[in-house]
Amino acid sequence: MAADSEPESEVFEITDFTTASEWERFISKIEEVLNDWKLIGISSGKPLEKGVYTTGAWEEKSDEISFADFRFSVTHHYLVQEPGDRDGREEGVEDALPLPMQDLLCMNNDFPPRAHCLVRWYGLREFVVIAPAANNDAVLSESKCNLLLSSVSIALGNTGCQVPLFVQIHQKWRRMYVGECQGPGVRTDFEMVHLRKAPSQYTHLSGLLDVFKSKIGCPLTPLPPVSMAIRLTYVLQDWQQYFWPQQPPDIDALVGGEVGGLEFGKLPFGACEDPISELHLATTWPHLTEGIIVDNDVYSDLDPIQAPQWSVRVRKADNPQCLLGDFLNEFFKLCHRKESTDEILGRSAFEEDGKEVADISHALSKLTEPAPVPIHKLSVTNMVHSAKKKIRKHRGVDESPLNNEVLNTILLNLFSQFKSAPSDSLTYKLALCLCMINFYHGGVKGVAHLWQEFVLEMRYRWENNYLIPGLANGPPDLRCCLLHQKLQMLNCCIERKKARDEGKRGNVSDRSPSGSSGDTGRGADHSGDNLKEADKEVGKSWESWSDSEEEFFECLSDAEDLKGNGQENGKKGGAKEGSRDPVSLKPEGRLHPHGKLTLLHPGEPLYIPITQEPAPMTEDLLEEQSEVLAKLGTSAEGAHLRARMQSACLLSDMESFKAANPGCCLEDFVRWYSPRDYIEEEVVDEKGNVVIKGELSARMKIPSNMWVEAWETAKPVPARRQKRLFDDTREAEKVLHYLAVQKPADLARHLLPCVIHAAVLKVKEEEVLEDISSVKKIIKQIISHSSKVLRFPNPEDKKLEEIIAQIMSVEAIIARARSLKAKFGVEKCENEEEKEDLQRCPCPYATWCILYAHLSNHLFTLTESSDEVTNFVPHFPLIFLSCIELNLSISAMPPLDEELRRSGSAEERRFTAGSVLDFPPPTGREIVLRTTVPSPAPYSKALPQRMYSVLTKEDFRLAGAFSADTTFF
Amino acid sequence: MASATDSRYGQKESSDQNFDYMFKILIIGNSSVGKTSFLFRYADDSFTPAFVSTVGIDFKVKTIYRNDKRIKLQIWDTAGQERYRTITTAYYRGAMGFILMYDITNEESFNAVQDWSTQIKTYSWDNAQVLLVGNKCDMEDERVVSAEKGRQLAEHLGFEFFEASAKDNINVKQTFERLVDIICEKMSESLDAADPAVTGAKQGPQLSDQQAPPHQDCAC
Repeated sequence: MAADSEPESEVFEITDFTTASEWERFISKIEEVLNDWKLIGISSGKPLEKGVYTTGAWEEKSDEISFADFRFSVTHHYLVQEPGDRDGREEGVEDALPLPMQDLLCMNNDFPPRAHCLVRWYGLREFVVIAPAANNDAVLSESKCNLLLSSVSIALGNTGCQVPLFVQIHQKWRRMYVGECQGPGVRTDFEMVHLRKAPSQYTHLSGLLDVFKSKIGCPLTPLPPVSMAIRLTYVLQDWQQYFWPQQPPDIDALVGGEVGGLEFGKLPFGACEDPISELHLATTWPHLTEGIIVDNDVYSDLDPIQAPQWSVRVRKADNPQCLLGDFLNEFFKLCHRKESTDEILGRSAFEEDGKEVADISHALSKLTEPAPVPIHKLSVTNMVHSAKKKIRKHRGVDESPLNNEVLNTILLNLFSQFKSAPSDSLTYKLALCLCMINFYHGGVKGVAHLWQEFVLEMRYRWENNYLIPGLANGPPDLRCCLLHQKLQMLNCCIERKKARDEGKRGNVSDRSPSGSSGDTGRGADHSGDNLKEADKEVGKSWESWSDSEEEFFECLSDAEDLKGNGQENGKKGGAKEGSRDPVSLKPEGRLHPHGKLTLLHPGEPLYIPITQEPAPMTEDLLEEQSEVLAKLGTSAEGAHLRARMQSACLLSDMESFKAANPGCCLEDFVRWYSPRDYIEEEVVDEKGNVVIKGELSARMKIPSNMWVEAWETAKPVPARRQKRLFDDTREAEKVLHYLAVQKPADLARHLLPCVIHAAVLKVKEEEVLEDISSVKKIIKQIISHSSKVLRFPNPEDKKLEEIIAQIMSVEAIIARARSLKAKFGVEKCENEEEKEDLQRCPCPYATWCILYAHLSNHLFTLTESSDEVTNFVPHFPLIFLSCIELNLSISAMPPLDEELRRSGSAEERRFTAGSVLDFPPPTGREIVLRTTVPSPAPYSKALPQRMYSVLTKEDFRLAGAFSADTTFF
Repeated sequence: MASATDSRYGQKESSDQNFDYMFKILIIGNSSVGKTSFLFRYADDSFTPAFVSTVGIDFKVKTIYRNDKRIKLQIWDTAGQERYRTITTAYYRGAMGFILMYDITNEESFNAVQDWSTQIKTYSWDNAQVLLVGNKCDMEDERVVSAEKGRQLAEHLGFEFFEASAKDNINVKQTFERLVDIICEKMSESLDAADPAVTGAKQGPQLSDQQAPPHQDCAC
């Protein structure tokens, strides 16, 4: 280093002449890459196991090098082997042949179904390919090709690498490779011929054998025997037998009135195109020795029927279009529509609502009298007509997305099944119906239209006290979708309103009749939602919550006599602790006597009062309420406020209790309501008698606690005259408004779970028919997955898409199974007995069931990862024949002679059928010829020679690997 | 279910960014078994012999650290009276954990456990976790339900079991922490289960944008 810094010192220029030219640099780069990948040295490894090329994993490594400015990619392809195998590289036996040369002769992996073409042609487990990089031109000129090959040769020689090195020449699509493999004293040249048309002498075995022999140019006589492996492949692809596009359910047929609308409850299923695109049959003679068979231009022993090995490969269509999947996708797309119902149907339809409603209700009021059974249909039809009229006015008949009949059918269908105890709910049916409408009838327009009608119908039902059918009774089921809850909520409202109206009608004398219109009008005044109110008035005193009389009473007409009661009590400060209310008060609103308890002071039996039911809640209301409650914070004041806000129910119960039990006290109430807060003790009084003495628990005695306060405020008012805890009018209007403002997209989101649910059921139903075990598993997974995703409000689109994709994949699998079944004629065999016979029969003719089982196992477990599957089936030549017969009608196969069928042995039958039916010419002919002969001189080492040939309609290729001893040459 | 992006787990509310997960827990059981006291002991570390009987539903909040994660517990305290059942059961659906409580000095409250458990099964979300707690274990003299009975019942119902005392502060913290741990376990389990899910496709990458579930190494 010091010397360098001296300016005066003599300058030595070292020129490395070995890397002077671009060519030399290129070679050294190849060597570098080989070095980097540790491909130098003796390669060793276990002999290849049978089928390992298919079952094992292949990997590749790539790098880029350049020759001047021409870039090449270098790729190392290799079969992943157990680590022990590769470490042994250095320890190979000195005089053993390099591994690749041994592989040339290995017969265990001929014709691998999926492999790099070089693997198929040469049987190699490992090789390196140098090919022009992505955007570079092909290497075409002969001199360039030779130059490349020389580079490879030199690089291999320099490094001692035993991995075969190929260069790709000519156009990429021709897949032309030349290459070389070197070992100590041996070399294999890989050569290739690729032609569009095969010369006639190469189309048969004997011609190829001649080429092979002349190529080895073996000086020995007699020549060592050549071993041969032959495969003839037949491809079936133009299926004629089945018309795949399935017919959609025909709504017009429904209108005809025959089908009864069953179709609306069902989702469609199945592929619209054949999900199996090709079926390959390969007939293989894995090991023949020269001379055993004859195959020349005039005669051939290669009868596919006689081939010892058969295999079938199925090539699946990519993402076949399937009906159920389409349905789901289309419906899912709805979720992304932005338009509101008004925008879709035209705003005017709604603006007119106010005016038209009178019309409709007038028309419908006529229908309120008769028995409810015919009303259903009539009312719906009527509804539809008047609604139609209204819509038609603005948009014209032709613009209407659904024609009248269709709409009628739909609505009738929706409601018609209600009486027959349907297992599914209205919501579920609505979902399916919208799904259908969306797909077949006008898309989003149709959906908007139907929804509008639906909402109108709901309003009609509310206003006319008709319960909505197809919904479980009781409060909204929080396990269902919100829309379902809303409908249930509406039903609760209708139920209460109905009960109230009927009550009124029944007790005209008791209560002044107040029309439902009046009721409705006032509904908005009393807020039944105490919480909401409380929220607004946080901070007000106790009195202002609940003690304002005009808020308290339902009907003014009742208020007068109520006031009589109320004032008396009120003046005395409510039911003060221990105060004796005049027992003369008439008890009201009794449900039944408690049975065990009597009032502490008057000693009268304690009556359980009729109480108000707590307000039913949908999950959004509940959420709202708990948010309000949570917002009050965790302080003591917050807690107190919270308790007050929730005290409406307690207060109402206390009032009912007071009304039912005149003269009662808090202790009485507590003994009924919260028994553990009344503590009884046996005490001995001053006279020595054991008496049971009771008192309120410590917590009930806390001064001015909520319970005491409420008790003091409570007036004796029976439940029916109390302010409603649940304002059905208001809640119903809220629900109806909610329904009306749902855009088609919102609706789709609400109902998507129902649709997915239905789709899963459908898939399940179809799966049961096919009984495919892997599908069972996937369905299970889909169910658990969707239940996770759909549990939460607003699931992510991505997850929903996933679910839909999963359902689609199952559909495709089942469709494939069916397609296969059809192709193998499984369905053709209609005679059950015959079918069973065939299944039981061990002869090849009946192997379709075995084959089918094989195929399905493989197919359906590998579906997601691969697009083709091979399965080896030892004997089933005739199946394929019948399959060809079925699908291509190559030649008419006369029905098998009955007698022969019964008596003939398998062999006979095979023979018969074989002679009747001719195989078409094979789509592909592959022949591997192998031998071990000394080359180039008789005294040279005997080395592996191999030639592979493949002949297809438009392609002929010879790929030869010829080894030679290089020691003395 | 248990992705961190789901609203029930760890979705950070705009008002409070100070936690990684939020668990809703419900305390249920017969009237006057000590639910409110139990909660006050845990949340405020205070005890009053008599709390006003809860009207409807009340709640407290406590944030704890578990495996480097801040977990905000929103603990809802419910009224035990029969009459409040319909009101309180409506809240079951949002809860991830339940503390089902009885009073060891009160047979009736113990006999009602089965019933409460049925209520949970009916109204809660299927994955909700439940702990059975026998409260007031300081009142040994008045005990009528043996610990063994409690344990057997818990086992029968498939719940974990604690005896506790809000008054003497026995097992209160442990109860809550154990419940949190069980919920976390369940959460990571179901995340794991979701992993190889459904035909292998498209599942993997999506999991990675979720927060990893807290791992389980609790010491109690």
